[in-house]
Parts: sequence; structure tokens; C-alpha cells
Amino acid sequence: MDSELRQKLDRGDVMKRYQAIQEIMKVVTDELVVCNIGHPSQELFQISDRPRNFYMLGSMGLAPSIGLGLAMSTKENVIVINGDAAATMNLGYMATVGYNRPPNLVDIIIDNQANGSTGFQPSFTANRLKLQDVGRACGIENVYLIEQQTKIAPTLAEALHDQTGSSLIIVKTDVGLEAPLDVIPMGPGQIRDRFMAELT
Amino acid sequence: MTNPQEFDPTEVLYKELKKSGLDFFVSVPCKLLGDLIDQLREDDSISYTPVSREEEGIGILAGAYLSGKKPAIVMQNSGFGNSVNAICSLLNYYQIPVVFIISHRGSPGEPIEAQKVMGNAIYKLMEAVDVDILEVKEASGVANIPKCIEKAHASSRSLGILLPFSYWGNGQ
Repeated sequence: MDSELRQKLDRGDVMKRYQAIQEIMKVVTDELVVCNIGHPSQELFQISDRPRNFYMLGSMGLAPSIGLGLAMSTKENVIVINGDAAATMNLGYMATVGYNRPPNLVDIIIDNQANGSTGFQPSFTANRLKLQDVGRACGIENVYLIEQQTKIAPTLAEALHDQTGSSLIIVKTDVGLEAPLDVIPMGPGQIRDRFMAELT
Repeated sequence: MTNPQEFDPTEVLYKELKKSGLDFFVSVPCKLLGDLIDQLREDDSISYTPVSREEEGIGILAGAYLSGKKPAIVMQNSGFGNSVNAICSLLNYYQIPVVFIISHRGSPGEPIEAQKVMGNAIYKLMEAVDVDILEVKEASGVANIPKCIEKAHASSRSLGILLPFSYWGNGQ
């Protein structure tokens, strides 16, 4: 991690994931949203539950793959809310996004440099991994790196508007939860059915 | 690609897969399935992408299913081991049916000893994760594919079509 970001984190100048998801949902209208398992999905549910959210209850790492499958088979805009450790777990997905480049896919990685849902073990981005460089090397056209909360909404709006290829937005955040979270009170069948009903 | 049974194993398989309504494919490379993968890549009437690994492919197919597609993955049986968590916690948990088109390495006729370990494990592995098996040992067996896929979709269960060496012929 670069020292400037470390200093900001130490000062508490950096948003948490909760604020990042709030900013994302300010921009979202009718986009499909696929969200990573664990705390991210629970926070999204708390901030803005809607039928066009697909909450993952398992298969960590596959959120952007589900998003890619949706983007390749619909004309709808698809937003993925993923985490840095989940992205690292399925790093090959970026090669497949770069191969297909659907312009309706915006992949957001909220990078808190930790495996938050499992006890805040440091992740690879806390060390030397730069996911933005992986994305560029895989041929993803529009790669953004954000450290300020105020830049999230305009950057997401730009990425949704852009039609040249897929977008990857890395948002650097602090670790930790904003508030206690509840388990999502929906089973997999309900999540699936109401999501699919939006698409057929 | 002719073989002693005088049928083209790729052509007859491809015909039945198309007849079954499958319209979204991903693949992981395989020599036995190479001609099928070439056909999928060139078929403008379906969606297709190569994937880096089977588990990733299952995620993509789940997304495709959610938007109304009938998805399938083309892969070797060894890749089934890479797929187990995605099958259980994504496909089975959300009841998303995927068709696995699997070349059965390690089946009788396999020239590479190392392939036999996963080759022997595949049946129990598929049973353990609740994926139904259709084993197609010879050309006539492909006729069962459309009705098995229809049943899989109707019951929201995934189906594995196992294609051993005996299907592909000795010329492989």
C-alpha cells in the first residue's frame, strides 16, 4: 500500500465500504446490481433493497462472472459490487471481461485491503497487488482508481455512459463496518425469482 | 475426423445440443472437444466465450440463466473438481440448471495414466454434488440428450453429459 493512502487511513480520512455503496446507489436507477457475498450484500440490502439486486449467498469470487454473464445476454446496464479479496480469488475473470468487453458492464471493486467478513485478515492489496494494473493488462478499457468519496458518483455515471468497452472502478476504502448488520431475510429462491421477474 | 464407427462425434453431438435449445456456452480447452469448441466459436446464433477456469464459467452461466438463457459449459472431467463450490452454493442453492458437456478423461482407452485418478472419481463427485449423469458411450446415445436436458430444465437441476473415449472413437 502506498504511504499516502496509509496516512489517510491512519487519520481516518477514508470512507468505509458503507459510504461507498451509498454513493453507488445514488447513481443507480434501473441497472442490474450483482453484489458480493457477506457484509457487502448485507450493507447493500440495508442501504437500498430492490428487486434488481442479486445478493450472493455463496460462491465467493463469482460476482463479476455472474455480472459478465448478464451483460453478455441482456442490453441492461450491469453493475458489480465486489471486494478486493473476492476479485483476487477469481482473478482470471478479468481476462474473460477483457476478451468480451461488453460496454454495459461496470465492475466496481471496493478495496479495503482486507478480508472483512472473515475477521479482517489483510488481503493482497494490503501488500503489493494493484488490481487496476491487472485490469488494464487484461484489456479492460476504462479503469478508474478512486480514493475520494465525492468522486464515486460522477465516475460511475461516466462509466455507465461510456460505450467503448467494459469499465473497472477500484474504490479504496477503510476496513470495518459502519453499523451492525442483519442477515438478509430472503432465501435464494426469492432472490432469484424476483430478480428474474425483472428481466422477463 | 472419422473413426471406426463412421460417424463424426462432434457433428452428431452438436446437432443434439442445438436441438435442445442451449444458447449460451462457455468452454475450457480440451483436445477431444476441440472441434465442438471451434463450432461454438463460429456459431453466430448462440453466445460463447472461452473462460479461464471452470468455476468462473459457472458464474457466467448463472448470470446468463438469470436473463433467460439456456447455458452450458464444455470441459474435461478434471475441471469438475474446480467447480464443486460453485455447483453447491450457486447452482444448487439458487436452483440454476446448467448443462455440463464433459469429455471423460481417464475412461477406458485413456493413454495418460495420470488422468485416471480424476477419471475414476468423477461419478462419485457428480453424485455428491447432486448433478445428474447422462453417459453417452456411443453415437446412438446422443439421441437421449434433448429429453434429458428438457427434464433438467423442468426440474431446475444441473445435468452432466459424460463423453468417454468409447464415444470419441479409437482415432483420438
